[in-house]
Amino acid sequence: MRPRQGITEIFSTFLQFDADRFRAWVSDPHLRRSMQARLAQSPQMEAAESYWVLYWYKLWQTQPESLAKAHLSAYLQEVCYWTAHKTSASFTSSQYTLSDCFQMAIARLDKVLKGFNPQLGYGFKNYASAIFSSVLKDLLRQQQEVDISTNWSLLRRLSQKRLVESLQNAGLGVEIINRYVLAWNCFKTLYVPTHPTGTRQLPKPESETWEAIAKLYNQERITQLHPAGTESNAQAIEKWLTACAKAARSYLYPSFVSINAPKPGQESGEFLDDLGGFEQDNYLNEMIAAEEQTKQQSRQTQMQAVLAAAIAKLDSQAQTIMQLYYGQGLTQQQIAKTIDTKQYTVSRRLTRARENILLALAKWSQETLHITLTSEVLNNINTVLEEWLQVHYRRPSSLMESTS
Amino acid sequence: MTFDPSSLTLTDPTQVWLEVSDLVRSQAWQRSQACSHPSSRWNAYLNQVCLQTILPWLREEHAGKALAVPSFTALPSIWEFINGTGVAWDNVRLVLIPTETIDLSELRVPQEWVDIPDWVADYYFGVQVDPDLESIRIWGYATHEQLKQNGSYDPQDRSYCLDEAHVIQNLSVLWVGRQLGIAETTRRTVPALPAISLAQVENLIPRLGNPEAISPRLAVPFQLWGTLISHGGWRQKLYHHRLGHDEQWSVLEWLQTGVSEAARQMGWGQSTWQPAMAAARGTTQFFPEVLLSRHMIIAQQQYELRVMPRTGGVWRFELRHATGDRIPAGFTLRLLTEDLQAFEGNEDTASQAVECLFVEVSLAPGEGLVWEIEPTPINYDREILRF
Repeated sequence: MRPRQGITEIFSTFLQFDADRFRAWVSDPHLRRSMQARLAQSPQMEAAESYWVLYWYKLWQTQPESLAKAHLSAYLQEVCYWTAHKTSASFTSSQYTLSDCFQMAIARLDKVLKGFNPQLGYGFKNYASAIFSSVLKDLLRQQQEVDISTNWSLLRRLSQKRLVESLQNAGLGVEIINRYVLAWNCFKTLYVPTHPTGTRQLPKPESETWEAIAKLYNQERITQLHPAGTESNAQAIEKWLTACAKAARSYLYPSFVSINAPKPGQESGEFLDDLGGFEQDNYLNEMIAAEEQTKQQSRQTQMQAVLAAAIAKLDSQAQTIMQLYYGQGLTQQQIAKTIDTKQYTVSRRLTRARENILLALAKWSQETLHITLTSEVLNNINTVLEEWLQVHYRRPSSLMESTS
Repeated sequence: MTFDPSSLTLTDPTQVWLEVSDLVRSQAWQRSQACSHPSSRWNAYLNQVCLQTILPWLREEHAGKALAVPSFTALPSIWEFINGTGVAWDNVRLVLIPTETIDLSELRVPQEWVDIPDWVADYYFGVQVDPDLESIRIWGYATHEQLKQNGSYDPQDRSYCLDEAHVIQNLSVLWVGRQLGIAETTRRTVPALPAISLAQVENLIPRLGNPEAISPRLAVPFQLWGTLISHGGWRQKLYHHRLGHDEQWSVLEWLQTGVSEAARQMGWGQSTWQPAMAAARGTTQFFPEVLLSRHMIIAQQQYELRVMPRTGGVWRFELRHATGDRIPAGFTLRLLTEDLQAFEGNEDTASQAVECLFVEVSLAPGEGLVWEIEPTPINYDREILRF
């Protein structure tokens, strides 16, 4: 992949795939104009990438509908690409291509934006990479589970929220969805595994089970459904549930994400061209961003030192495990073999080591940055900790913040 | 398509994954057979697997004193109706909420764990259980406060649903937060549930105790249900009713034919009274050969509650230290009617260290009594002794 040149390109172009390979950077004219206009006002910031990250981030916070989000999406293209690359490479049996993974990850940009906390001193790219990676892994894991489950197992193993979303996605109306959900609940109550294992391969229920489900449905609909609807029967219920399973499968496939995924060159039409309001937001935002940028840079340096000190305090076995895990990229299983212990011991040691480091970072944030510690703040630090550790153990890394 | 073990590497390495041993699985399966319906059996199984796997880990890593609440033996009477398992240590309470779902879009907590004052916990752990895998995953947690604040209530299955965005997906946040002494409100006060009359209970138990009623928890208004189920004695009665068992808590029957299996599991047993000891105290009344006793732990000490008949329908309840030490000042032994009403002379409090606390009470045949002790014994769950 050709690296992007210059601030304007970094904040206004999108990756284009050719089948499964990088093809080109496609420029979005709106974003390019928007970026150029701002650069004309602050030419001294020409090279300051991290300044512009904070600038757009601050703007997104106050004006989430503005172009800020699209600029940040452009900015995160490489991070997203590399995360997708790493994840899809480690997961060979996936039917997903690299570009599918990329689309699935970038579709969760909102999660990155909502969770990022510039006060905590870690980089936006680090945070984005952590979120993209966990989102992708989770989606791929789910996908695999769905693939190997029969319809009847799948139905038992869907959350209600996911089922409702799937049915909405399939274009069904509220009343029908309520009916289906009730039928699904009756199914889950009455169609229960009778062996402790084999739950992925549940066969189709017997006809008497369908009758029982229909009977329960007809009892429950009177109190649970408004309006209660008409009586149903075993055949209808079976049809409904088959439709539920189908909806859930297609909802879990990637086609759904492309609805949300920004498409280069097309999406900016949805955004208001905010150049008109540019003058008012600019001055204040610029000041804040500049101040934040300075602070953030010094925080990042300090934080790296705190991290290194916390790692140095770990006992030697913990240090070895951390080195093998983050430095050499071994799996927990491989580490267990290397140091002759059980996998869960490795997992626990890693967790404990991470907790020690998290504790040190949190204390430092509290004492030095005067941040009031809450679970949310801790959660935030913890999310990015994983990235920090990888950076720490694998310098230089493509995931490192280029300006930090 | 077969299962690809590499999907395990797709899991978040910072989340807690615990190995489920074959032994735990087969024990859990055996122990979850006493249920009225396959769905409650499956529920009991998933909860057993969770508890048997998480409790040892919790004790080893974070809370040496963690215990199942109300107790291992009382839990099946909860799992018959409700998903979730209580765990407690010091003054922390948590509820494990197993789920089989592939996606983790929401944490779905049955209302009982949120709105019954005695059941409210500080933390609710979402636990993903894949019965085909040899591991479970604690995928996130939320506090009671967060469930109330950000959760939505679904009247259809009476549960609080918290979107994954509000679930903290890493337990380290909890442990480190506690180490740092982060002072956050974990519990919100919930209103007390209204009292229900004995007549209502006697009407409800046969109705909800019919195993044909598949979801008894949804069959009556929540307030009624919550009051019924939070009373350990009524819950046990309902549970045994569904299993088709006879009265398990008849003290007269225990004396005649031995303590029932259910009561035995709760710690009741028969002992033999030592007439010599009785004589030494200068009492001249008739003493039976046997008395009923239940061992328990209060403030790290072993105690024994004894129940013995006197003449004329009078029963004596006694609390003693198991090894003969004195009972410290401040302890109270209290008896209540089945619907938890106090009555005259129903309690004895140690104003200074004493050898024994006792209450004597005259009972009509068939009457039920609930005992309470302060401080509350470990694994206490209300029980109704039938006379």
